Amino acid sequence: MIPVAHPREAFPLSPEGGRIPHSSEQPSGPDTRPWVLRFAVLPDSARATALPPALYDEDRQISVGVDTDLLPYMQTHSPTIPDGSPANPPPLDEGPKD
Amino acid sequence: MPTVLVIAARDDWPTDRVVKTLDERGATVFRMDAAEFPEEAGLAARIDDSHGWAGGVVTSHRELDLADVSACYFRTPHPFRFAEGMSDAERRFAAAQARAGFGGILTALDCRWVSHPSAMSRAEYKPYQLAAARECGLTLPPTLITNRPDAVQAFAGDIPGTIICKPVASPVFIEGDQLKAVYTRVLTEDDLGDLTGMETTAHLFQAWVDKAYEVRLTMAGDRPFAAEVHSDTKAGYTDWRSDYKSLTYKPTAPPPDVIERVRALMHRLELRFGALDFVVSPAGEWTFLEVNPCGQWDWIQHATGHPIAEGIADELLGVTE
Repeated sequence: MIPVAHPREAFPLSPEGGRIPHSSEQPSGPDTRPWVLRFAVLPDSARATALPPALYDEDRQISVGVDTDLLPYMQTHSPTIPDGSPANPPPLDEGPKD
Repeated sequence: MPTVLVIAARDDWPTDRVVKTLDERGATVFRMDAAEFPEEAGLAARIDDSHGWAGGVVTSHRELDLADVSACYFRTPHPFRFAEGMSDAERRFAAAQARAGFGGILTALDCRWVSHPSAMSRAEYKPYQLAAARECGLTLPPTLITNRPDAVQAFAGDIPGTIICKPVASPVFIEGDQLKAVYTRVLTEDDLGDLTGMETTAHLFQAWVDKAYEVRLTMAGDRPFAAEVHSDTKAGYTDWRSDYKSLTYKPTAPPPDVIERVRALMHRLELRFGALDFVVSPAGEWTFLEVNPCGQWDWIQHATGHPIAEGIADELLGVTE
């Protein structure tokens, strides 16, 4: 049976390897590179958000701080600001969901 | 006992706020990430002529009876995680089976969803959103989606003012080991003079809408939480996502007709949560840009005091105003 639609449409998950697929490839030439990508920018790493260390508490079902009673969600009210690092993706609004 | 099932990444901290709110209200919460299946979570469910799906999910910390699930909060879980040592072919096969089996059982749950995953997936498509928004009476910027340079030139000629370009899908990607982003671009004559590469894929163009400010309107069920978004930089004014640090926020109340149309849009898209973006003109006219079915909201709650987590909890618990 070959499905007519990818089943992930009905149960979207982040892709394997992270929300944004990784590539080490460099840009191709102008004839094959999507036009809009000429306006792509590298986010300013100096403006990135630092996230506090956290552990997941299985009993409370939330993340808790390391060496602090403050819960991580109480310490981070800024949207994630991308810094060009693949390890620091932008907010869900800006990233692929699947 | 009625249970709220939360399917979300463990490191999605805004979800923590929802879980804590539910907990403080005495609700039973079963939180898991899809990444826990199958290695850390077991599933068994049966269906026959006399009963719908019955069974549950078991983890090392708790058990879920599917019959107890009264509501489900779905927020971009991580992918399934399989045993080390599987071949790529086995992993792909297992992932498809897990998605259809585990995901299929959960999406068949007849309960309150915030929001149902298939509705969220469908609503991710901007063209679908725009068509639905138009049918619901919201004002849109004239929009073109094309891979034809001549169509771009014709559109630019038809629009009396400036046009912009932005990605029709995700604006972020990783290339050369670096994360890059494409934000809204106000197009110049030079930009339009060289459309090489236009044919390679779909591109989205819109008329630029004069703005006094933008609004992030977060809908939790039928409840609106609106925030004006102001920027004092050119980049932030053009696309506020490109310059978060320049932004200031202010609670606002959308016009009643906009709220009515947004509720109709949410109903049409079958979404019980959405983060919508509007441009508000100097004359006070609201123009719809997009709706994010899985949008960020925590920073808006912090900046404005809007009780969005509480609104999401209300929706999950069936509390109406």
